[in-house]
Amino acid sequence: MTQKKLLIALAGNANVGKSVIFNYLTGLHQHIGNWPGKTVERAEGTLHYKGYTIDIIDLPGIYSLSTYSLEELVSRKYITVERPDIVINVVDASVLERNLFFTLQLMELETPMVIALNQIDMAKSKGIQIDVKKLEKLLGVPVLPTVAVKGVGITKLLEKAIETVEKGAVEKHPRAIYGEEVEERIEKLMPMLSNIHLLYPQRYAAIKLLEGDEEIEQEVSRIDKQIVAAAKKLADEIRSLHGHACSTVITSERYELAGCIARNAQKLVSPIKPTWSERLHNITTHRIGGYIVLASSLLLIFYAIFTFGGYTSELLNNFFYEWEPLVKGAVGAGIASELLWGGVIEGIIAGTTIVLPYIIPFYLILYFLENSGYLSRIAFLMDNVMHKMGLHGKAFIPLMLGYGCNVPACLGCRIMETHRERLLAAFVTTLVPCAARTVIILGLVGNFLGFQWALGLYVFNLVMIFALGRLAFKVVPGEPTALIMEMPDYRLPHAKTILKQTWFRVAEFIKIAFPLIIAGSLVLKLAEIAGLLEPITGVLSPVTVAWLGLPAVAGITLIFGILRKELALIMLAALLGTTNFALVLTPVQMVVFTLVAMFYIPCTATIAALVREFRWKKALFITVFEIVFAIFLGGIAFRLLTLFM
Amino acid sequence: MEKRDLENREVPLTALKDKETGKVTSIKAGRGIGRGKGWGFEKRLMDMGLTPGTEVTVVKSAPFHGPVEVLVRGSRLALGRGMAERIFVEIKP
Ligand SMILES: Nc1nc2c(ncn2[C@@H]2O[C@H](COP(=O)(O)OP(=O)(O)OP(=O)(O)O)[C@@H](O)[C@H]2O)c(=O)[nH]1
Ligand SMILES: [Mg+2]
Repeated sequence: MTQKKLLIALAGNANVGKSVIFNYLTGLHQHIGNWPGKTVERAEGTLHYKGYTIDIIDLPGIYSLSTYSLEELVSRKYITVERPDIVINVVDASVLERNLFFTLQLMELETPMVIALNQIDMAKSKGIQIDVKKLEKLLGVPVLPTVAVKGVGITKLLEKAIETVEKGAVEKHPRAIYGEEVEERIEKLMPMLSNIHLLYPQRYAAIKLLEGDEEIEQEVSRIDKQIVAAAKKLADEIRSLHGHACSTVITSERYELAGCIARNAQKLVSPIKPTWSERLHNITTHRIGGYIVLASSLLLIFYAIFTFGGYTSELLNNFFYEWEPLVKGAVGAGIASELLWGGVIEGIIAGTTIVLPYIIPFYLILYFLENSGYLSRIAFLMDNVMHKMGLHGKAFIPLMLGYGCNVPACLGCRIMETHRERLLAAFVTTLVPCAARTVIILGLVGNFLGFQWALGLYVFNLVMIFALGRLAFKVVPGEPTALIMEMPDYRLPHAKTILKQTWFRVAEFIKIAFPLIIAGSLVLKLAEIAGLLEPITGVLSPVTVAWLGLPAVAGITLIFGILRKELALIMLAALLGTTNFALVLTPVQMVVFTLVAMFYIPCTATIAALVREFRWKKALFITVFEIVFAIFLGGIAFRLLTLFM
Repeated sequence: MEKRDLENREVPLTALKDKETGKVTSIKAGRGIGRGKGWGFEKRLMDMGLTPGTEVTVVKSAPFHGPVEVLVRGSRLALGRGMAERIFVEIKP
């Protein structure tokens, strides 16, 4: 029996809903949010449908198929080299013209394709009505309306894609026709290309040669330098006819065509109501109001999490400790009981009561923000500040994501244009206190010293990020590129998307952190019983006790924290035998411990991400720097705080 | 300088007031930014729809010489100040 296989690629502009469709089809968890540039690497998933094994590929969002950015080159290469059976071009119906500009280029690549006309709900609320049949006719490609977040139309889309492949899709789409001067020269160039073998269709190669596409020029000149020279000459002719560079002329004409098709296929009825999203946009990007909104919403968010977390944490704590005598009574006294209670149960309690009450609301809010579209507004407001660190506004997006988890944030730094900017952005991102560190900040300092102390630490952290960012800019100088970013409309986040993403995070915590907690607590308890704890803490004590003024066991828990930051606090609870830290730590110790935990090292997963993105040397440098910096800072804080507290 | 520009009615985008609309005439490349080959911000701007002849409306700019928010071809873009200064437009009478 031959297994029927299909390869389907999702391509289109950034932020149109490709990953939502991908997740829907494959059941995987690609990053979703309302800002452009989330998917940075192609993702693959499989699906079984009607006897087919279908590989689905989610490509990064791009605006063009030229080779000016890495993502564009990657996507173009993928489509031409891997030759998917069909490309699903996902199109944002509410910005049809710009999306069709990309569609026209895909058509020039002559790949079999269908169009998913997505976000028709958004288009409708903006007063845009699209005549699907007409659009289909104008483009000569099947068009299917979808509302990806609700799953509307996706099955039909898939069926259409399969049907198109089975039919042996029309190989040649009706092509985009340019102005006379350009067409004439494409015609002249095409015969020259007819004898050489290229990855790309002839007409596409001819157009790209006129546009001066470096990659194709290189490929052609390896075979015949004269063709490239001829193309240059023809391009110059166009330049002198139009007064603009040939690539500009071609881009303009392509956009004209896209605009013409869009205008023909869509009808503008006045929007149903003056959109709330417009009003919200104006408030949140206002030159004064915008900053006030930003500061107060951040404050509110942290305060809400602090209050909710503290309250829930205590409730859970009381609940669990009611069981203590019962459990202890059941297993009796002795080593077994000690191991079970002190090693396993204490760890589970600490994990549940300290971590979950904080991270669940935290992720809910973060994903809400991400899916609303606020992040790109913050990037707009913070562009100036980021320039001081040799970056631009877009870098603030990974920075905000860092508050959730540093790992995706490090990958998210790819939205920056140059390697230098990616490195700088990743460095400052690792300094951002992630959800795990928030657990320590709010759960320890906030809970036992008061919210103002926790807030003070957050503000201090921001100041340090800024200072170290500037320092890094001095070390890796260079002219910052400028901001070019789309600000997608605000939308009401889709509840299911947020819940799913939050659940995914929490499940990850339960699956990875809990076994670690249990294993870690067991090992620690065994070491304690065997009398091994003292020698280890003894070695670390010059730093932990003498320099930082912490209890000796803190050294061990900080080492655990390298695995996952929240372990630093959980292990402390397990070792000290209580989650009531006020009994075992002085206020100064709490602040110093939290400060060190905030800065001392990226966790192992983050280090791995850094290595992947920037290689060993840079990852190691960042890690060592942060350890030294945190210890240095902690010691100073200890000495200063002792004077005041 | 400023005056002559106004006479030709060709001014940088940053000279537009809020809510004013202009037609793109050209994008001046200037020194290459970033890596040697540059990342072709001109090309990127055009791919996002800022081709010559296109209407751009300035919505607002962020304070302290911050980025400019523009509407172009139905989408909303944020452009860094340095970039906006190199986009030349003709103010619509
Ligand atoms: N209202 C509405 N929102 C949608 C629809 N499809 C997607 N979205 C939202 O659009 C945003 C972007 O969706 P993604 O799937 O992350 O977009 P993408 O094309 O993968 O974007 P990049 O990876 O950044 O290129 C998310 O906030 C989605 O919830 C839709 O049909 N209707
Ligand atoms: Mg995506």
